[in-house]
Amino acid sequence: MPYHEFEVSKCIPERKQHAVVKGPGEDLTSCLPKGYLNTIPGSISERGCAYCGAKHVIGTPMKDVIHLSHGPVGCTYDTWQTKRYISDNNDYQLKYTFASDVKEKHIVFGAEKLLKQNILEAFKAFPEIKRMTIYQTCATALIGDDVDAIAAEVKEELPDVDIFVCNSPGFAGPSQSGGHHKINIAWINQKVGTIEPKITGDYVINYVGEYNIQGDQEIMVDFFKRMGIQVLSTFTGNGSYDDLRTMHGAHLNVLECARSAEYICDELRVRYGIPRLDIDGFGHKALGDSLRKIGLFFGIEDRAEAIIAEETAKWGPELAWYKERLQGKKVCLWPGGSKLWHWAHAIQEEMGVKVVSVYTKFGHQGDMEKGVSRCGEGALAIDDPNELENQEALRNLKPDVIFTGKRPGEVAKKMRVPYLNAHAYHNGPYKGFEGWVRFARDIYNAVYSPMHQLSAIDISKDDYATDKGFVTRRMLSDANLSDEAKASPITGYSGKFDPIAAIRAKTDADYPVYPRRSAAEAAE
Amino acid sequence: MNCQVKVKDRVGTINPIFTCQPAGAQFASIGVKDCIGIVHGGQGCVMFVRLLISQHLKESFEIASSSVHEDGAVFGALDRVETAVDVLLMRYPHVKVVPIITTCSTEVIGDDVDGLITKLEEGLLAEKYAGREVHLLAIHSPSFVGSMVSGYDVAVRDFVKKFAKKGEPSEKINLLTGWVNPGDVKELKHLVSELGVEANVLFEIESFDSPLMPDGTAVSHGNTTIADLEATGSAMHTFALNRYEGGKAAQYLEKKFKIPSTIGPTPIGIRNTDALVKKLSQVTGKPIPASLVKERGIALDAISDVAHMFLADKKVAIYGAADLVIGLAEYCLDLEMRPQLLLLGDDNAGYVNDPRIKALQDNVDYPMEIITNADFWELENRIKNEGLELDLILGHSKGRFISIDYNIPMVRVGFPTYDRAGIYRNPVVGYGGATWLAEQMANALFTDMEHKKNKEWLLNVW
Repeated sequence: MPYHEFEVSKCIPERKQHAVVKGPGEDLTSCLPKGYLNTIPGSISERGCAYCGAKHVIGTPMKDVIHLSHGPVGCTYDTWQTKRYISDNNDYQLKYTFASDVKEKHIVFGAEKLLKQNILEAFKAFPEIKRMTIYQTCATALIGDDVDAIAAEVKEELPDVDIFVCNSPGFAGPSQSGGHHKINIAWINQKVGTIEPKITGDYVINYVGEYNIQGDQEIMVDFFKRMGIQVLSTFTGNGSYDDLRTMHGAHLNVLECARSAEYICDELRVRYGIPRLDIDGFGHKALGDSLRKIGLFFGIEDRAEAIIAEETAKWGPELAWYKERLQGKKVCLWPGGSKLWHWAHAIQEEMGVKVVSVYTKFGHQGDMEKGVSRCGEGALAIDDPNELENQEALRNLKPDVIFTGKRPGEVAKKMRVPYLNAHAYHNGPYKGFEGWVRFARDIYNAVYSPMHQLSAIDISKDDYATDKGFVTRRMLSDANLSDEAKASPITGYSGKFDPIAAIRAKTDADYPVYPRRSAAEAAE
Repeated sequence: MNCQVKVKDRVGTINPIFTCQPAGAQFASIGVKDCIGIVHGGQGCVMFVRLLISQHLKESFEIASSSVHEDGAVFGALDRVETAVDVLLMRYPHVKVVPIITTCSTEVIGDDVDGLITKLEEGLLAEKYAGREVHLLAIHSPSFVGSMVSGYDVAVRDFVKKFAKKGEPSEKINLLTGWVNPGDVKELKHLVSELGVEANVLFEIESFDSPLMPDGTAVSHGNTTIADLEATGSAMHTFALNRYEGGKAAQYLEKKFKIPSTIGPTPIGIRNTDALVKKLSQVTGKPIPASLVKERGIALDAISDVAHMFLADKKVAIYGAADLVIGLAEYCLDLEMRPQLLLLGDDNAGYVNDPRIKALQDNVDYPMEIITNADFWELENRIKNEGLELDLILGHSKGRFISIDYNIPMVRVGFPTYDRAGIYRNPVVGYGGATWLAEQMANALFTDMEHKKNKEWLLNVW
C-alpha cells in the first residue's frame, strides 16, 4: 500500500490518496498521488487562487506594462511586493500596481465606467507606458462586467496603446494553476501574431516559463546570447509586452517551467509549428544538458560545450566543496509546482543531500510523476499539503532543512527546521552555474548556522559547553571530514552579492560575433 | 484655512495603502485564543493575507478557507462552509471559536452565512459535536466596502457582540488596543499595571513575538479568551484607543450594556499618553504613580535631546491607518516638525468630522493636506511632479520604493513593516513609544545626512 495516511487526516479519508511513500522497488505505477483536485474546505491548504496564478505568477513579471486589476483593492494589494521578479527597467512592474477600486455602488450598478476611467487615469499618470494588462477578479466576474469591450473602446480612443485582458477570477479552478492556463491561452489568442518580429540572427527562440526570480532570466539569456542565439521574447520574467506579441516568429520554444507555461508552447506548436524543447536552468548537469540540447537543435553544440567547459571549470570546485559538506543532509522539498522535479534529482546528485519529502501546492499529477521518479526510496510525496500534515511530516522526518514558502517557513522555524525560500530564493539567483553554487551556499548556511545549533540547547536542563566564544560554520561542517577535505583552500562561494549587475553592464561588444549563415546553409 | 481635507480626485488606485476588509477581520481573529477563522471566498483571500501578516510578524498562525471554486460561485457555496467547519473542528480539537468571514465573492452571490450558522448550530454542532464548546459567528466583511481598517473594526464589534454578557459589575476596564503590534500591547499593559488598573486587554497579540524553543513546540496565538470576551459586558468602562479600530465595539457595549466608553485619543506621543493616563486615573480612581512621572521624565529627557536641535521644522509625510496617522501627526507637531501630507487610505466618510482633524484645520499655520481614499500616487505624484519637498516619510513597508527612488529617509511604522527587522517588537504608543519614535526619526535623519553628506559633521558634537 503505497498511500501514506497522515494521523491528522484520518478523519478526512479523501486525503488518503494525496500522499504516497515511495517504497523499495516501486515505480510510478504503484505510487502516484492524486493531484489538482478540488481543495477540501477548512483543511488549511496552502493553495492560492486562479487570479493570482494569472496576474501574480505570469502577468506581472512582464516589465513595461501597467498591470491593472479590476476589482476591490485587496486582490491588487495582496499580490503586490510579495515576489522577487526583478527587471532591467528599474523594476517598474514590481513598484507599480493598479486597482480599479470597485466599491459597493459599482457592485450594484456595474463597474464598466469606473474601469474605463481607471484605464485613462493610469495611462495619464505614466505617459511613457503604452501597454496594459487588465485582470478580472471574483467580484467583477460575478457582476458580469465586459472587460474586453471596455478595453476595445479605449484602444479605439487611444490608438497608441495596447491592452490585454485576462478573465481569470479567483474561483476559476482548484488553485493558481487554473489561472496559469487561462492567461497562457488568452495571450496567444489575443496577442501573438499582432506584431511581426525583427529577426537579427540565425537561431531564434522564445524563452518560456521563466519569471526572472532574482535575475534567473538574465543569467540564462546571457548564456543564449553567448551562443549567438536571439531571444525574441521571454514569457514573462523581464519580458517585454511587444516582444511577446512576436512569439510566432521564433524557431524554437525553450520551456523552463512546464507547469505554468506549457500551454502556450503547445499552442505555438499547433498554430505555428514551433517545436517545444523543455530545459532546466537548475543544476550544473541539467543546465549543461539543456544548453547542449539547444545547441544540438541548431547545430551549434560547440558553442554550448565551450560555455559549459568554462563555467563548470569556474564553479565546479565550489559546488564540490559544498557537496562534500552537505552529504546526507535531509531535505524537505516543498515548493509550489515545478521545482519539485527541477530540483529533486539535481540537489541529490550535485549537493549530496537526501530529499526525504516532496510536495506540490498546485501541481498536477504530471508534476508528481516527474518529482516522484526523481526521488529516492522512502521519499514522502504530498499533493495539496495542509498545515497539520506538514507538521506531522516534519516531526516524523526531522529534516535538516526545508525549501518552501515564507509563511510555511515560519512554521518550520518554530519546529527548529531551518528554511530556504523556494519561491523567491534566499540569496539568488539560483539558475546558472554560479547560481547553483549560490543555492548550495544558502543550504550550507542554513544547515550549519551556529544560531540553529544554539537553539537546540535548553539551558535549564542540558549540559552545554562554555569554553567557546564562537563557533564558525566551518567548525561545524568539517568536524567529521578527512584531513584533506579540512585543508581545502576553498572557503565557499566566491561570487558577489549581486551577480546581475555585471550582466546588465554588458554591451553587444561583450558577446561573440558569429557570421550569419548563407541562405543555402539556412535552407539545409 | 491652511489645512485642507480632500478626497483623492482620481477614481482608481495606483499603489494601494490598504488591503480590503477580510484582512482586518482575519487580523482580529488571530487575537482570539482557540479560534481559527474560515474565510468564505477564493483561496487567495486567505493565502495572501496569511502571507502578509506573517511577513509583518515573522510568525505563522492558522486561518482556513472555504475554498470556493467555480461551481460554488455559480450555484452558491454554503456547502463549502459546512464542510469547512466540520473538517476544521475534527482536526483542531482545541478550537472553540470559528468566525466565518465573508469576502466580495460570497457577498455578491448572496450566501446566507447567518442562516447557515443557525443550521449548523442545530445540526452539526448539536449532533456531531454535542458536549463540545463551539461558537460560530458571521463576520460580514465584503471587500468592496471600507478597508482592512474597517474590517478590523467590524470584526472586533462582532466578536464582542457574540460573547459579551452582563455579569457581576467588575472593577476591570475593557482595553481595545486597535490594530497594533506586540510591542504596543506590552507597553499598554505596562502602563495600566503601573497605574494599578485591571484591564481586559482585547484581541491581545503580545505573544506573536514568540520564542524559538529548544523542544520546537512554541506556537504563536492570540491571548483573548472566550471568558475575556464575555467579561466585556460587565466592565466598568471601555477604552477604545483607536476610534476606527475598536470604536464600534465600544459603542455597542455602551448602548447594550450601558458601559461608558472613552474612544481615543490614540496614545501616540507624550500629550496623548498623558490624556490616556489621566482618563484612566479618573475613571478608576487610581492615582497617577510617581513611577509614571519618572518614566515620562525619562522619555522627555531623551526626546529633548533630539527635538528642537534636529527634528524641528522637518517636513514629513505620513500614511496608513487614520488613528495612527493622526496620532503621529499630532506628535510630530509637538516635536516642532511640520507634517505636510497625511494620507488616509480609505473612503471613511467620518474622517472629516474627526475632532482631531478639525483641530489641525483650526491651528496649523502652514499648508497641510489631508487626503482621504488616498493611494501612494498621491504622495509620489506630489514629489515627482508637483515639487513637494520632504525630509522624512512615516509609514509602512508598501511605500518603501518612494523613499528609495526619491531619496527620502523613512521610518517604518504601522502595518506591514516587513522590510525592517523587529519593528513589531517596539511600541509607538505610551511614553516608551514616544521615545522610540523620536529616536527612530532622529537616527533616520542622521543616517540620511551622512549618506548625502549633508551637514553630517553636525554630529561630531552632540
